[in-house]
Amino acid sequence: MTISNATVPRARRFSLRSRETPLDLTTRIAVVLVVLILGVLIVLPLVNILSSAVSEQGLAVFNSIFSSVNLQVLQNTVVLGVLVGAIGTVIGFLLAYVQVRLDFRGKKLLHLLALLPIVSPPFAVATAVITLFGRSGIITRDLLGITPTLYGLPGLTIVLSLSFFPAAYMNMLGLMRSLDPSLDEAAASIGANKWRTFVTVTLPMLVPGFASSFLLLFVEAIADLANPLVIGGDFTVLSSRAYIAITGEYNVGAGAAYSLVLLLPGLLVFLIQRYWATRKSVVSVTGKPAGRPAVITSIPARIVLLTLSGLLALLIVTIYATVIVGGFVKILGINNEFDLSHYRYVLSGIGSDAMITTTALALIATPIAGVLGLVIAWLITRKLRRGRALIDFLGMLGLAVPGTVLGIGYALTFNKPLGFGNVAILPALAGGGAVLGGAIAIVMVYVIRSSPSGQRSGVAALQQIDVAIDEASASLGASGVTTFRKVTLPLIRPALLSGLIYAFARSMTTLSPIIFITTPQTKIMTSQILSEVDAGRFGNAFAYCTILIVIVMSVIGLLNLFVRDSSVPKAAGLSSATIN
Amino acid sequence: MSTTLPTRTEQDAEKPTGELVLRDVEKSFGVGENRVTAVDHINLTVKPGEFVTLLGPSGCGKTTTLRMIAGFESPTSGSVLLDGEDMLRLTPDRRPMAMVFQSYALFPHMTVFDNVAYGLKLRKVPAKQLKEEVGFALASMGLTALADRAPNQLSGGQQQRVALARAMVVKPKVLLFDEPLSNLDAKLRVQMRLEIRRLQRLLGISSVYVTHDQDEAMSLSDRIVVMRSGRIEQVGTPDEIYRTPESVFVADFIGRANFLDVTEASTSSREGHADITVLGQRMSARAHRDAVAAPESVLLVRPEAIRVRRFAEGDDKVAGNHGRVLNAVFYGESVEYEIETEVGTIVAVVSDPVYDEIVPVGDLVGISFDPERAWLLPAAS
Amino acid sequence: MSLALLMSGCAVTSTDSGDDGSTGSDELGGSITIACGAMEDWCQAMTTAFTAETGVQANFVRLSSGETVARLDAARDNPEFDVWHGGPVDGFGAARDAGLLEAYDSPNAAAIPDKYKDADHYWTGVYVGALGFCSNTKVLDELGVDVPESWEDLLDPKLKGQISTAHPSPSGTAFTTLWTQVTRLGGEEEGLEYMKKMHNNVLQYSKSGTAPGQIAGRGEVAVGLVFSHDCVKYQEEGLTDLTVSFPKEGTGYEIGGVALVKGSKNKTAAQAYIDWTLTAEAQNIGPTVGSYQVLTNPDAAVDDRMVKLEDVEFVDYDFVAAAAAKPGLTARFDAEIAAQPKE
Repeated sequence: MTISNATVPRARRFSLRSRETPLDLTTRIAVVLVVLILGVLIVLPLVNILSSAVSEQGLAVFNSIFSSVNLQVLQNTVVLGVLVGAIGTVIGFLLAYVQVRLDFRGKKLLHLLALLPIVSPPFAVATAVITLFGRSGIITRDLLGITPTLYGLPGLTIVLSLSFFPAAYMNMLGLMRSLDPSLDEAAASIGANKWRTFVTVTLPMLVPGFASSFLLLFVEAIADLANPLVIGGDFTVLSSRAYIAITGEYNVGAGAAYSLVLLLPGLLVFLIQRYWATRKSVVSVTGKPAGRPAVITSIPARIVLLTLSGLLALLIVTIYATVIVGGFVKILGINNEFDLSHYRYVLSGIGSDAMITTTALALIATPIAGVLGLVIAWLITRKLRRGRALIDFLGMLGLAVPGTVLGIGYALTFNKPLGFGNVAILPALAGGGAVLGGAIAIVMVYVIRSSPSGQRSGVAALQQIDVAIDEASASLGASGVTTFRKVTLPLIRPALLSGLIYAFARSMTTLSPIIFITTPQTKIMTSQILSEVDAGRFGNAFAYCTILIVIVMSVIGLLNLFVRDSSVPKAAGLSSATIN
Repeated sequence: MSTTLPTRTEQDAEKPTGELVLRDVEKSFGVGENRVTAVDHINLTVKPGEFVTLLGPSGCGKTTTLRMIAGFESPTSGSVLLDGEDMLRLTPDRRPMAMVFQSYALFPHMTVFDNVAYGLKLRKVPAKQLKEEVGFALASMGLTALADRAPNQLSGGQQQRVALARAMVVKPKVLLFDEPLSNLDAKLRVQMRLEIRRLQRLLGISSVYVTHDQDEAMSLSDRIVVMRSGRIEQVGTPDEIYRTPESVFVADFIGRANFLDVTEASTSSREGHADITVLGQRMSARAHRDAVAAPESVLLVRPEAIRVRRFAEGDDKVAGNHGRVLNAVFYGESVEYEIETEVGTIVAVVSDPVYDEIVPVGDLVGISFDPERAWLLPAAS
Repeated sequence: MSLALLMSGCAVTSTDSGDDGSTGSDELGGSITIACGAMEDWCQAMTTAFTAETGVQANFVRLSSGETVARLDAARDNPEFDVWHGGPVDGFGAARDAGLLEAYDSPNAAAIPDKYKDADHYWTGVYVGALGFCSNTKVLDELGVDVPESWEDLLDPKLKGQISTAHPSPSGTAFTTLWTQVTRLGGEEEGLEYMKKMHNNVLQYSKSGTAPGQIAGRGEVAVGLVFSHDCVKYQEEGLTDLTVSFPKEGTGYEIGGVALVKGSKNKTAAQAYIDWTLTAEAQNIGPTVGSYQVLTNPDAAVDDRMVKLEDVEFVDYDFVAAAAAKPGLTARFDAEIAAQPKE
């Protein structure tokens, strides 16, 4: 008995493993491909950065990380991330809630306004906010006669929350539209009033949405480099510290070390979020759709909700009006004379090259990122048990790794041919001397930076779809791929679309990783904008931003037409969640 | 891939197929201390065209068993054979089976027609034939008028009909049902189970049906498999399960039961009977083969087998042969009594009662039963 | 469609090469890439003119000196740049020390005064800029403060939060400011002591050296510490409240350099570019695009808007010592000053 006890469980464990539900061939191929792609796109650059970080200079940083200065920087970073994560999530939730549960005129407009910041290039919000609300701001000084100091935490919080909340908004919108309203009705029927229903049923159902929104915003906020550079004041965060180390102190090792520290809070939040998501799985789409969400009619609630979202909308409109107007006058707020010189400057030579290059590269990266993100989402929610967490993690790394680190990692990795020994596997992909002028590396950065948003929205959407729907398809004879194509994909079309839109807009507006790998042959708009802001030519920057926004909006419009097709019955509950 | 799936024509040409064999199937989760055995070495054969129901309380392993047949779970050990072919090598989509789900699992982005046509399209059925077959399936479920609707425009009953039509139209060798009626209201449930049975007979497809509702099991099944804690307690026709249950558990789970204590039990000269003393009387009752040998045994008497009469003045008062009416409920076609006796509370159902004969609460009644309608079985250990 | 866009997107971005062979010498050809540390329009004007002159395609990327060193280092084995043009030479010194530059003694360098050249020919100066105060007179009036005339004036408590300067790590300009204090006051401790006092009046340490000028120009602060030619450029661009002044105790200056990148794949053309940048003709392009640095070639034109070096008091700025002290000093600045709370 004792002897067999020692051996039998092991034998059984072995047999358990060998008899796991067999993965079909396509799944296996998909896993291999995904691992390979992620390996090249993110793991390799990180490994290179890591080996730089454990260099002497890097280790010095680790040793001093708990010195008061670095501790302060670390604390600043976390405070900023939490504030932006919380405020941005609340804003996103508010607007999504109003969108789903309220009927009013201008609903569509509010939706578009809420999406506007996605297409906003870095600096657009920051420069506009300084122009409007700075010490000599049009609103603060000229209208209100006050001179607030925006530089530092307050300005960063405002600007980053306004820049990043759309991610939370889209996330919450998709989730709320697919929630089963009968749950609210059930709560109401057992005597819960509207408020209690909201607090005890609606909010808990949205916990995964809150968690993933917070995660997204937190990570984006702490990884952002552009805004701390412009309005950080003396509020130094890890990303700007890493930037200083690399570009100011010529100390790649120290920069890599700082960014590894930067990676930690991101990973921590990621793990917490995972814990939440697995503990509270809210499956509510069952293929047995129920009615539409109840519309809120309570007058006080309407007034509060509409006033808040109205104010937000006004703020967004003002900011973007500033960007647009700023491109057409000499110096907004100082010399408001109509002037086309900014556009002349931007549209000639370098400017137009940058526009075409940036758009083309982003267009190439978008579908790749969208597909990659969705395939990962599909694998981790539907296909894999073992290794699921790892692939999820690898997929999200592209977002968790600060752009600065990624950029340096890419420069370190892809500037020379890649290979083992003397056998070159990949030619040089980055830098001026590389194939296609380094464009491939830029596309790769775009892909790895954008695919996590596709993955997140894909996972959220897939978690909402009853597994029985997949099983029904399989039991009718559909292979994994067929099920994905014919059932899963149409059902997650809204998520796919929002993933694609986000991917494209992100590519067009990403800056920090790009700084390190733009080449003379591939000029990127955002880094051109950086030059303009850097040089204080806000007018040129505004003109660039406006053009960038126009490009992104046009492509989004086309994507909407392209991805949405009319073969879906109009009444199908899920298709109404399309972002439009 | 889809070419390997059986098509309708192939199947029609052959003689009835669909013999499903579960051999020593085990399913365990976890490792070591946390190891839980959900299905514990079960053996079962479903004959071609047979309708078998897995019945049991929740957590008894019936759904896990069904999902292992379908391929959504893999057994830890054992084998699943269909017409001699090993199913475990095949992914769910390669198994010639179709499943009907509790949640219906209709594709929300497809119309009713497209939902039903889905499996046929996968089998590359020509357009004309596809239209015919889907049309036939819809018509037989009374869904023709709803063909262009989206699933969320249908009632629950209509949705389940679509799910049923969708599964049946591909002519699988085995149909699997996972509590398909539990989301429907009682009347619809009765109607639907008749319909399921009718169609299943018509098509002659072997079926495995999971439910915890004994009425459903009784009315649908050729044979019922009663499961408990991952094991099969009994396999038998509804009649066998009801009249000659293998265990107290089965007797108790199926229908309602009075268990009377038996003081003496010995082998009877009559085949399949035992001599016993119950309610103070000596009698010969039908008996389970192990009942006499068992250390203790009980006598199962169904409520409808109990005879109730007004207790007359001069009657003998032997322990257990009389009692006081605690409760009497009039159901129309029957009266149900709860009677307090010296050996415990006994439930009796008297069908088609004459009005005058209904005994009021509090009265004394005499109790008796026909030993031929009783069943002696080993007491639960 | 995307592919077509890509192809056109990747087309080399420079002006048309003079294939008619107007003035191009026979050996020259191909293309060169320049890491350009000056203002964008300056870089563009320079490369365009060079291409027109020689037929060699010249592309540029605008980079700060810190970025340039980082990128040269990252691509050490496969350099993407041939020439580094513009930006303060303390950065060039760091690149030289890291083995990223190649010495080149241009024949045209003979015309350039020795004080504007590296003794070992790793870099040659193309322009000179003087560090100054870039003040917004409107804001100063409101505060009731006079235009600062000395470093001590910057410590006026009325200027609390009204000074903008860059961080000496990424910004060559700001490092010049820091090293000026060290030189002026006679030691690192003393220099940092001064910066510590000024810290209370600083709104933020921007990352870009030129940013303080525009922050002052838009009225966000009263005084920005920048090279005077950057302040003039902002004035020209419409920030008309700005005025330039210099500290009477003496100020620092920068030399903008040009250097050959080690491992350049088109060395002949790169050297031709360096030769060209040292000519009066090339240097005269600066003022046409609003850059009024003092030019190093004695024959180059002088513009009224350029600072007259003889009118300004300078400290004795030691570029070699500055480059050597830079990493330690900026790290101390970062730890002891930038991250400290203000009173």
